[in-house]
Amino acid sequence: MERNITGLISESEKELAEYCMESALGHGAAQVRISLSKSILDSVGMLNGEVDKVAHSADRSVFLYVFADGRYGTFSTNRLDKAELARFAANAVDTVKMLAEDPFRQLPDPARTEKGAVTGRELGLYDSSYEYMTAGKRMEIARDECISGKTGDGKDYRIISEECEYSDSTDDNLVLDSSGFYGRHTETSFAVCSEITIEDKGGRKYSGYWWDSSPFIDGLDRMACSEAALDRAIRQMNPRNRKGGKYRMVVDASVSSRLVSPVISALNAASIQQESSFLKDSLGKRIFGDGLSIIDCARTPGKPGARLFDTEGVATRDCEVIRGGAVKMYFTNTYIARKMGMEPTVEGVSRPVLVPFSCKKGCGEDSGVQFNAGRIMKECGSGIYVTGFNGGNCNQTTGDFSYGIEGFAFRDGQILHPVREMVITGNMVGLWNSLLFAGNDARPCTRWQIPSLCFDEVDFSS
Amino acid sequence: MENRYFLDRFKVTVPQLDSLIGTALAHGGDYADLYFEHTAYNDLLLKDNEVASGGFHIDSGVGIRVLKGDKTGYAYSESTEMPDMTCAAKAAAQIAMAGGLPADYRHAVSTGLPAPDLYPAARNWKDCPASGFIPVLKKLESIIYSKEPKVVKVIAKLSWSESEILMYNSSGELACDFRPMGSIVASVIFSWNGKNENKTASRSFRMGAEMITDRLMDEIAEEAVAGIDDRFRAIRPKGGKMPVVMGAGASGILLHEAMGHSFEADFNRKGQSIFSGMTGKKICDSSISIVDDGTIRYNRGSCNYDDEGIRGQKTYMVKDGILVSYLHDRISARFYGLQPTGNGRRESFRFNPIPRMRATYMENGNALKSDLIASVKKGIYVDEFSNGQVKIGEGDFTFYVKSGCLIENGRLTAPVKDLNIIGNGPRTLADIVGVGNDLAIDNGTWTCGKDQSVPVSCGIPSVLVKSLTVGGN
Repeated sequence: MERNITGLISESEKELAEYCMESALGHGAAQVRISLSKSILDSVGMLNGEVDKVAHSADRSVFLYVFADGRYGTFSTNRLDKAELARFAANAVDTVKMLAEDPFRQLPDPARTEKGAVTGRELGLYDSSYEYMTAGKRMEIARDECISGKTGDGKDYRIISEECEYSDSTDDNLVLDSSGFYGRHTETSFAVCSEITIEDKGGRKYSGYWWDSSPFIDGLDRMACSEAALDRAIRQMNPRNRKGGKYRMVVDASVSSRLVSPVISALNAASIQQESSFLKDSLGKRIFGDGLSIIDCARTPGKPGARLFDTEGVATRDCEVIRGGAVKMYFTNTYIARKMGMEPTVEGVSRPVLVPFSCKKGCGEDSGVQFNAGRIMKECGSGIYVTGFNGGNCNQTTGDFSYGIEGFAFRDGQILHPVREMVITGNMVGLWNSLLFAGNDARPCTRWQIPSLCFDEVDFSS
Repeated sequence: MENRYFLDRFKVTVPQLDSLIGTALAHGGDYADLYFEHTAYNDLLLKDNEVASGGFHIDSGVGIRVLKGDKTGYAYSESTEMPDMTCAAKAAAQIAMAGGLPADYRHAVSTGLPAPDLYPAARNWKDCPASGFIPVLKKLESIIYSKEPKVVKVIAKLSWSESEILMYNSSGELACDFRPMGSIVASVIFSWNGKNENKTASRSFRMGAEMITDRLMDEIAEEAVAGIDDRFRAIRPKGGKMPVVMGAGASGILLHEAMGHSFEADFNRKGQSIFSGMTGKKICDSSISIVDDGTIRYNRGSCNYDDEGIRGQKTYMVKDGILVSYLHDRISARFYGLQPTGNGRRESFRFNPIPRMRATYMENGNALKSDLIASVKKGIYVDEFSNGQVKIGEGDFTFYVKSGCLIENGRLTAPVKDLNIIGNGPRTLADIVGVGNDLAIDNGTWTCGKDQSVPVSCGIPSVLVKSLTVGGN
């Protein structure tokens, strides 16, 4: 098999990783996995149209997973000197030997590991134009992003500050194990973000934030970022208090993943095993409303979050996580599977995609037209349109949640005014049983493909 | 430890440091500094009745910063070989190529004074074999089980780290610091009548291994099981605006989120904070003084020197109701023509320093906690929290309440849990109508996540806020 190494990790560094693994095995480890990562990140930050910060970072790390005498430990270092690595590996094995035995710890079955991640570029997440980025080009993109010339004169606000940043990075990860696994993953990322603070004539401040990112420079929507941030700040002016009560809640696609992540976390088999998940004993059962379906599209080429193997080296697959409200899988690594007597899957979600849904037949979800927050508001009449979360949490053991929100009151599908200091409270199971709509407007730049959502009868406090 | 030790640790000499500074300033930068760090982090995890996983992690490198006016160039190297550090210095130097007016960064720092020693370690962690800590976790687990029959799972983690820091700058100032940190966290799952609940208790100190005592284990175990019956009985109250009595200690998260972040001078220098331009103005009752303190012995947020080489300090942000100071790093101090307050902190050598809190607390008032509760007809009392957040411009903050009680007719009644509370910083400060005399600093594993993670702590006496928005049914 040809292993064409043309990334950040050099052939000699790959040999160092192999040497570290051999050192651990030579010192008494029964099995070893090693993960060597290198990355480079450059960023240019602008403040009010002028360069404010230029940063360059180059990272490297070796993670060593040691299985010795039925025991297990995890170690890391960023010192890649050969002699130091040998000492590091020996110390790691000695440390593992003092821990308690855990017979369930071992490397994954080689039959389950990925065989096709050879060059690291199989998923098409590497943009070779990264290699032609220069300090000057980065500065130019960052300057283009700024809109500080627009002071807001003659308007009912003025711009207090505009902070925007352009960054690009490349990551190279090589994973080897003593059972013969070899996997490499390489990707690039290009990102812009902008935060604008404005002040109204009464001296009240409002801020708006927007961002975009892509594995490819041509996929980056960089010119619209500050405009979007300014628009989000302006739209928050003159908020009104809204009486608390039960409202329909439309959640914008830019923030809707906040309501999905507690569900995905609760499907982690490690939480199930520790009895700290509200989705314990839910496998195969219909827990949520039939509108909730989530697929893990782990192997979609060229898309953020795609990967051929997980941190254990296990081959990912595209699979159903939740279908029609029924839980179809737990995220179960080799250790937890052996411990719980379950079939192993993968150790975590890669690229979750929430499937569009409408409680009204033939409305939106499969019509091929854009089914976004605006359209959903028209469908559901009146309620609160949530465009941001301000703090809050979900108790993973019970599913009870409470989040601060920002957004807008709407009536007959039309936005009325911004709201502030509102809190939503409920339970994740109840919330997802009240799902009315899931749009088809997930942002392309995000790993979590979660569209705008609409829930019925949500408790708002104000 | 002598400075010599740190120079040897990073295999550098003062002439080499000067050479790097020279490279960093080659394009006309006004100021440059070097931040060398070697951190050894260890952990042990008890789960399913055994300490069956653990490890150690080594992180080492140097961060190089160049300032030109208020602008920052930053780069770092994970190697302390001169060619690698020189490359990083050249990258950081680029900021000066953007031009700008020169600025004077020669702060009158307190050189010549004896080095502070806020966290002397009686027993260095590195001198203690990790195997010696396994019985500690087993004992903690055993105490937790012995205290409460509803316990079904205990996860206990002991982590410790030692950071060796060397800082040098273009004013020729050299500062070195040895920073130990030990943390213990116990997460407990309880089961009762087919329902599960969880609680977490933690302690963290800048201390050596002498922090591990039977008394500390008992204290953590007691806190981990305290009030679990109430947790199972807890209700979601009717939400809305109501008076809130914040219990002493962990309620200091109110100060951290509602005020502390808005007092950080980078936000104010850029005009973004709701408190911008308000120094010298009265912002709350004259009985209120709020402090950010980096000098509490063994405290998680304390610093002998901050990460810009400025000595640890105690800084009044609000004194007798008047906003007297923001929290400054070198950049904001120069901007305002003031001295830095020792708040320039960073997560590691990978990050440039920015103004950050240390231990933030409110000084004692005169009220009794019982009187504060008795004065509320209908409201809630809160005493356990997890996380919080603030919007700097608007001043809107939130924090998440893990547990508390309803207050009805001046008495604590039904327990409540899992609520988000939301308010507005300046308004909430003005709405504090009673301050207790029971100041407590919470020594949990508080970590502030403003772009970078840094250890902090918080504290407060019992206070009565006359109106906050409480999430509920």
